[in-house]
Amino acid sequence: MSATEQDIITKARRDLAQRLGVREQDVAEVSVEETDFPDAALGASVEDEMSAQVITPGRRIRLKADSEIYEYRATARQLRLVNFKGQNYRV
Amino acid sequence: MSRNVWLNISIAVALILIAAFAGRMHKWQKNRPARHATESSRSVGEGATESAADENDSQKTEILVRFRSGVTQQAIEAITARLNDEVEDRIEAVDGLDVIEDEDNRSADEVVAQYRALSEVEYAEPNSEIKLDHEGAGKHIHANDELFYKQWGLFNHGQDGGKSGADISAMQAWAVTKGSSEVVVAVLDSGVDYTHPDLVNNIWTRPQIIKAYEDDGLRSEEPVDDVHGLNVLEDSGDAMDDNGHGTHCAGILGAEGGNDIGIAGVNWTVKIMPLKFMDADGAGTTKDAIAAISYVINRKKAGVNVRIISASWGSTIKSRALEDVIRKAGAEEILFVAAAGNASSDNDVKPHYPASYDLNNVISVAAVNRNDELTAFSNYGATSVHIAAPGQQIVSTWLQHGFEEKQGTSMATPFVAGVAALVLATNPGISVDELRARLLKSVDPLPSLKGKVATGGRINAAKAVTPQ
Repeated sequence: MSATEQDIITKARRDLAQRLGVREQDVAEVSVEETDFPDAALGASVEDEMSAQVITPGRRIRLKADSEIYEYRATARQLRLVNFKGQNYRV
Repeated sequence: MSRNVWLNISIAVALILIAAFAGRMHKWQKNRPARHATESSRSVGEGATESAADENDSQKTEILVRFRSGVTQQAIEAITARLNDEVEDRIEAVDGLDVIEDEDNRSADEVVAQYRALSEVEYAEPNSEIKLDHEGAGKHIHANDELFYKQWGLFNHGQDGGKSGADISAMQAWAVTKGSSEVVVAVLDSGVDYTHPDLVNNIWTRPQIIKAYEDDGLRSEEPVDDVHGLNVLEDSGDAMDDNGHGTHCAGILGAEGGNDIGIAGVNWTVKIMPLKFMDADGAGTTKDAIAAISYVINRKKAGVNVRIISASWGSTIKSRALEDVIRKAGAEEILFVAAAGNASSDNDVKPHYPASYDLNNVISVAAVNRNDELTAFSNYGATSVHIAAPGQQIVSTWLQHGFEEKQGTSMATPFVAGVAALVLATNPGISVDELRARLLKSVDPLPSLKGKVATGGRINAAKAVTPQ
């Protein structure tokens, strides 16, 4: 795992811990997979957001906390939380 | 050398000449050889293309090359592509004997030497007779740009596993027009690297006669010196791209052609108006998109001949305000070409905006691959997606003066916007309604698009620029 990838996962874990009000070490990494997303918003646009319609290679990161699975999507430039309580977020 | 040997050589030469002549006769009878059969059937007709004859075409060097037994046609085409040549004809009477057309202005001796050096070649020789008999061929302009051989969307001769003829017939269109510096296309995107060497000569500059941009909605109270367009994110005239997407789209529609470097745009000559409303991540807001479109309308009213907006972006969120400003652009005779989206979904059921706004000036564009198939990612829609264009493995301009390959309906969109600009180059007075109608009529119908897009076809530039 590259330093950049580890940084992204660390950032995602920290973000999820803050949102859930739990400790970072209580957020577990489930999987990280490389994939192509349909647009520059990684298929997870936030409210009122338009995005470039270019296939965007990135990573799908699944984390687990309190028995729930949460999905983040990332590129080297950006990180997004998908469908968290019904909404997407740019982290 | 014995008399018999000379006799054998004479007979061999005579047979080759007879075979060449027979091959030429075969070509005359069928108009185009096997490799060009598809091009011929999808072109606007021999008469029309000949009327746009390119004088340079008849001056190209052609040589006869016989490839060794076992060298496949695919391998031959790979060799010719590598040497920037083209298989112009195949002499069917002699196995492996091809007429090769040089595309980079080398002499016959130089081209012959190139082929003689190859282990796959049995012999290579000049053939002036073949060169003179060029009248029967459809006319086209070939670009000398370094990466042109990768641009299957413009000229697909089967490279990299593609289907010969699965392209927009750009070379035939270029025999009619290669674009015009009088036509301005707004690239509404993440900005454009206006210093890119393959774009710099085609970037719009505000004429001094037109005042700097002023608008009540600007954050600044001062006019914006929109020397090369507008950056809505900063209210500045510096629409430099920090993502790459806008630069890529700009290159597809308007990278300078015939300059030996990089790629050729659909338009070799055009004026690209860079607009930046998306950030370095390739994302922007509806409000900023509206501000950028308002700018285009303002500049049109001020006298800039900006007739096309290329919009390679979108979302599933519908905005009445965005719809209204695009409608307003239509009232100013501005065509709005938009990406259908990459969710592999049916826009008739789940619309993708702005492409799905049902407006008279909107064209929604799906993406096809190098085999003329709808790409797996492309959205479609029998009524709400209108046309398709190349959108997979598309090489174009990028940041740091580079070139990259990308895929998406983002890439398909500037192909259509570019063809619209070619039409405007030949017919500047055409109304937006007529322009849109002409584009939607100028397609090659494809089985893969039947029931998937309204026209059932992929854009054909040659048809678009030929009077209907």
